[in-house]
Amino acid sequence: MLATVDSCVLAGLEARRVEVQADSANGETKFFLVGLAATSVKEARERVRSAIKNSGLDFPRKRLTVNLAPAEMRKEGSGLDLPIAIAIALAEVGKRAPARSAFLGELALDGAVRHVDGVLVAARCLKRLGFDRFFVPAADASEAALIEGLEVIPCEHLAGVFAHLLGQTQIAPQLFTDVAVEGAAGVVENDLAEVHGQEEARRAIEVAAAGGHHLLLSGPPGSGKTMLARCVPGILPPLELAEAFEVAQVRSLLGDLSPGRPLDWTRPFRAPHHGVSMAGLIGGGSGVAMPGEISRSNHGVLFLDELAEFQAPVLQALRQPLETGRVTITRSGGSVTYPARFTLVAATNPCPCGWLGDPVRACRCTQAVVDGYQRRLSGPLLDRIDLQVQVRRVPLAALAAEPRGEPSQAVRERVLAARARQQTRQGCLNAQLKPSRLRTLAAMEPGSKRTLERWSEQKGLTARGFHRAWRVARTAADLEGAELIADRHVLEALGYRLHDVAA
Amino acid sequence: MAIVGSRRPSPYGEAVAEQLAADLARAGVVVVSGLALGCDAAAHRGALNGGGVTIAVMGTGVDIVYPAAHFRLAEEIVAAGGALVSQFPNGTSPRRRNFPARNVTLAALSDVVVVVEAVQGSGALITAEAALDLHKEVMAVPGSIFSPLSVGTHALIRDGAGLVQNARDVLAALGVGREVLDDPLSAPKRLGFGLPAQRDGILLHLSDVLAVSTAELARKLHLPVAEVLGRLTSLELDGAVRRHGAGYVRALRTGKD
Repeated sequence: MLATVDSCVLAGLEARRVEVQADSANGETKFFLVGLAATSVKEARERVRSAIKNSGLDFPRKRLTVNLAPAEMRKEGSGLDLPIAIAIALAEVGKRAPARSAFLGELALDGAVRHVDGVLVAARCLKRLGFDRFFVPAADASEAALIEGLEVIPCEHLAGVFAHLLGQTQIAPQLFTDVAVEGAAGVVENDLAEVHGQEEARRAIEVAAAGGHHLLLSGPPGSGKTMLARCVPGILPPLELAEAFEVAQVRSLLGDLSPGRPLDWTRPFRAPHHGVSMAGLIGGGSGVAMPGEISRSNHGVLFLDELAEFQAPVLQALRQPLETGRVTITRSGGSVTYPARFTLVAATNPCPCGWLGDPVRACRCTQAVVDGYQRRLSGPLLDRIDLQVQVRRVPLAALAAEPRGEPSQAVRERVLAARARQQTRQGCLNAQLKPSRLRTLAAMEPGSKRTLERWSEQKGLTARGFHRAWRVARTAADLEGAELIADRHVLEALGYRLHDVAA
Repeated sequence: MAIVGSRRPSPYGEAVAEQLAADLARAGVVVVSGLALGCDAAAHRGALNGGGVTIAVMGTGVDIVYPAAHFRLAEEIVAAGGALVSQFPNGTSPRRRNFPARNVTLAALSDVVVVVEAVQGSGALITAEAALDLHKEVMAVPGSIFSPLSVGTHALIRDGAGLVQNARDVLAALGVGREVLDDPLSAPKRLGFGLPAQRDGILLHLSDVLAVSTAELARKLHLPVAEVLGRLTSLELDGAVRRHGAGYVRALRTGKD
């Protein structure tokens, strides 16, 4: 007998439909699995055999062939266990699978259905492919139930699923997970009120948060760069529904979603160590590339401490995502694109010993060492970081005397207002404005345009640098609620371009 | 005449070295220095700007430029009719112990040694000592009493070195010009240059030597940081201030009169 069951395999944030066909025919007792299965799928044979037997079902003592179609597509992962087992069991009893239903899940030897990664992504794509019902591991059901209009059947055990299919028992579908946006996250983990002094860096953080600009903090050890960076998520608005969804999909692929709470409204904050590999930061791995830290921090903050200590090729690879907000990685299993629209907050010492420019402690580095260190933060990368500020070390004794900062809550209100203004005007943040739209949407007073051009000539700004300064000026104007970009906004924006040196 | 000083001068020291060298070069004086980073390079550059001849006394063989970044400068020195001089054979690479010997040679080649900025125990002070041993005249440029870079020069002045406020002081010591110290109550005419015409409140709070941060200025002036940063940028565009370390300093105009 022949039975066909639908499933899918994931390639990045896309799922491709896979038909699992099981055919049992007279002949020698054998189990063939064909259709370009990778090792993890070939192993399904053993798991499925045991799971079926241990679920009290009959495993055919015939010549059994399971085909995974389309045959030219390479299949990976353990999610095909459940559909293979269902197809075999259905073929044995001569039943057809329900129409427009898909199955995904790994099997334990006792027939229990185990978690697989990426169920949310699979559910989204299956719905789009016209499926109505999705059988998923019970552990992943709340994740799949985020997709409206898809009936999600939580599967605990193979036996239960099979009984459900035969109409003997019923499994209640998982209810659609309500995605009402929770109120703004109440607790701010790192509050700006704790930061004494550092007015310049505080302002830069506010501008970065308001316009989605990238930020570089440069200063000696112990000057509070890390503390400042950790304050950034606290002044950002909670995620929007679409954003939260994108964040959840990346987490789903990585098996990183908390089961009870698939949608999280707080913005991601990722701080990979400077030893991180290319695959770890950008994404990679064998077969189909998995998302890296830049995609994990999508719609949030990517904090790179000790920027100059990162491997040079890894830093260079940041350039494309910084510019486009996504990253495309090609591996043997095909090419995938992941979202990577993060706010980069980088921190660096001014020199290897860290004390260059400190008013009290002398720097011990030779000029050549300092030059080499700063060269590692290559021009092209720095050119993409809109806001660059020096952070000064506040001596311990003076710390108490420094004015206590404004709390994050107050800063966040200004940031939210500025972001709202941008959304109404252009539907995106200033940092994402294309040059052509800048001209129409970010009009400047005549004098301020002249200022920008003068700087550009004096410092030999690239076209990219020119547009980036323009965008920052737009954000400064938005924070003030100004319609036109005035001279003071341009001047402030240029003040953050630390690494422009006279040509 | 030799101009020596710190390899890592303040913007003030660099400006003084460059301006002094330019003025002296215009007066026909040959400026001798060590082709090192900082004051030395500023002195050579100033002399070239002043259309003069300058000699670089090197601590390496003449075929090796150290630091390598000064290769162009070395070429320009030769092209302008100056010379690269070394007591070491060709192919001598930079070695720590060679530089004090070079400093002695530098002093020997000059009639007057002017120290621009020097921390205590620096190579510039070794040159000054060597000059005294060779019975040459030593002069020093004063600076801020807050600046560690002026500790060495102030010590020299206290011990009797000539005070340099402008090129005329040096010319007088060389016996070329009239010895006239500027009226101490008015700003020196050729060095220091006073404040730019724009009487911006911010400029009064800035120093030539020590960088002042935007946040500090904002607090002193009771203005928002964003506005102070904008005004500083505007001054930077006009060439009145420049960035230095973690803040801004007043820019001393050099190279042009």
